Amino acid sequence: MKRQTDYGYEIKPVYTPKDVSDISYEKDIGDPGSYPFVRGYYPNGYRDRIWTRRMTAGLGSSRRTNKVLKKYREMGQTQGMLVIHDRPSAMPIDADHPMGRREAGVLGWHGVSLLEFEELMDGIPLIGQSITLLGSSAMSCMRLAYIVALAEKRGIDLKEVHGSVTEYPFCHTFGQTDHMPLDLNIKLWLDSSEFIIRNKIRMRCGILSQHFQESGGNNAQALAVEIGQLKELLGLLVNERGLDFDDVGLLPYELVSIGSRFFEEIAKVRALRRMYARMARETFNAKTEKACQLLISVHTSGRTMTYQQPYNNIARCAIQTLAGAIAGCTAIDNACLDNAHAEPSAFAARMSLNTQHIISDETGVTDVTDPLAGSYFVERLTNEVEDAAYKILQQIEKEGGMIAAVKKGYIHNMMYESARKRQKEIETGECLIVGVNELIIPPEDDDDIPIQSLEASDSEEIAKRIEKWKETRDMSILKDKIAQLYKDAKKDRNHNLMPAIIEAVKAYATAGEIMGVIRMAHGFHYDPLEMIDCPFKLS
Amino acid sequence: MGDRRRIKVLISVIGLDGHFTGAEIVSRYLMDAGMEVVYLGIYQTPEMIVSAAIQESVDVIGISSHASNYDQIGMLLDLMKQNGLNDIPVICGGTIPRQHAETLLKRGVSKIFPPQSSSESIVNYITSIVKR
Repeated sequence: MKRQTDYGYEIKPVYTPKDVSDISYEKDIGDPGSYPFVRGYYPNGYRDRIWTRRMTAGLGSSRRTNKVLKKYREMGQTQGMLVIHDRPSAMPIDADHPMGRREAGVLGWHGVSLLEFEELMDGIPLIGQSITLLGSSAMSCMRLAYIVALAEKRGIDLKEVHGSVTEYPFCHTFGQTDHMPLDLNIKLWLDSSEFIIRNKIRMRCGILSQHFQESGGNNAQALAVEIGQLKELLGLLVNERGLDFDDVGLLPYELVSIGSRFFEEIAKVRALRRMYARMARETFNAKTEKACQLLISVHTSGRTMTYQQPYNNIARCAIQTLAGAIAGCTAIDNACLDNAHAEPSAFAARMSLNTQHIISDETGVTDVTDPLAGSYFVERLTNEVEDAAYKILQQIEKEGGMIAAVKKGYIHNMMYESARKRQKEIETGECLIVGVNELIIPPEDDDDIPIQSLEASDSEEIAKRIEKWKETRDMSILKDKIAQLYKDAKKDRNHNLMPAIIEAVKAYATAGEIMGVIRMAHGFHYDPLEMIDCPFKLS
Repeated sequence: MGDRRRIKVLISVIGLDGHFTGAEIVSRYLMDAGMEVVYLGIYQTPEMIVSAAIQESVDVIGISSHASNYDQIGMLLDLMKQNGLNDIPVICGGTIPRQHAETLLKRGVSKIFPPQSSSESIVNYITSIVKR
């Protein structure tokens, strides 16, 4: 068996004070709540604020996902909710699109209109819990508009809503179903981010390494990609949109993928806090401490959850959740025992949420902040992963930065080679996985688990409903709003489209329509799949 | 004799699925084993897959699927029948729950490889089913 980190650092049998002799506690680590924030942002850790214990939801119709969210609330998920998109809405195309109707509701919630969001949130509070919607960069502006519109309808001050509904523009590079051209995604990302910052909305934007890592990247690469993205994207907000970094620094949050290599995962999160703080101060001259604090959420690693002997995943999930908790984070959504089979069943969701509560309430892990600080091993690992990440970051910068590296395929190749190396290690037995390459049982002896499935008829039902509903809308208002949006979208790149998108969303224009019109204004086909034409006359 | 052309496999992700890592890794396995791979990538419809299969006269079709209503794999099989391609075996890989796997096998999929299947098992299976 290999005794190496995934980025190739050889692990020694014993660590001693010699391994940390180059580290200055004051300068390199510091107390919790002090720069460079290796130990977290709160002097008293979880005593000041316990992490949000939540689960991913989203499958089928909005009403079906609404029921799941209510069920999760009964299961103790009251601090925050997390919903992901289905495949058509992530593209985005509507369910009545010839391809949309085949997969509406697959893998998530069909969030293509304000109506869908109203149904998703029916009887669920918009404030008092964090609202997180994920799964497509292209849909960021739409989701932000849903929040604005629903807050207005419910008579809620927008500033009271918190959470995250916008996402970084690289999703589709890392396996997400999002079929928008990268440059247009970047423009729309700048629009939604600027809107949040200028209006002082307490909404974060997900700039994530999780998709990259879940698609194959290793820990050091994940840190490099994360810092590379942040540097370039936040830089655009400062330089192109003229925003102050002390405001911009409050925007991003990172979703870290945490696997089973316990100490290495904890080291990664600690290193990330330091790397971000230093970048904020050294690259962007951040003046406030808040702007040096990257909010970090944890997703336990879906790719480590095995298809074989699925109940083993309960143990994996617990180990990873504990690592996330010890590393220090603002929220955890943990992968479920059925992750390699389907979207979480009620049973799997309850197991995952209970695992989080067992860890937060029974283990004492919330009593002491960053309890592994000072461990010769963990401090060494924190430095090692950071050093390796900076080397990769240098390479990314040599390629011209993150956007250029993505366009050249450099990031994709890095991810692919890393996935391939990992697969080879599993095949040769250098890496052992219980149920996969050791302690294997015949498939017919494996346990059956409850599966939450979605039938083709469910997708068709969503499609038919949207078809009918579209005809009931007030088309004269909708056409006016669409015409205005098209006009605005033709203006220069820095003209913010959020106000026009919000107006169109309030008139119940759909994602397919709104994004289609924006695409056309930018010279692309209305339909990302080029199968249907624009239903509006535009000039 | 003499004309032992390489086994030609079409690998594609089906529908709106964006998860490409599995399909890319398997493509490389097959190439390393000396097979020719026609890799279609993501956002492929059953229609596109059938038309590529005809054009490239492939021996096997490999479909990668991660969470779906799995209906499009059924559509692919129907479309293949309509185009007289019944003799091309379709194999699938990905996170396909056992219940759905059984349904797909009944509909005519020749084999389903669950996550973490070894490269050897995939290569051996393809070699064993291709009649030359």
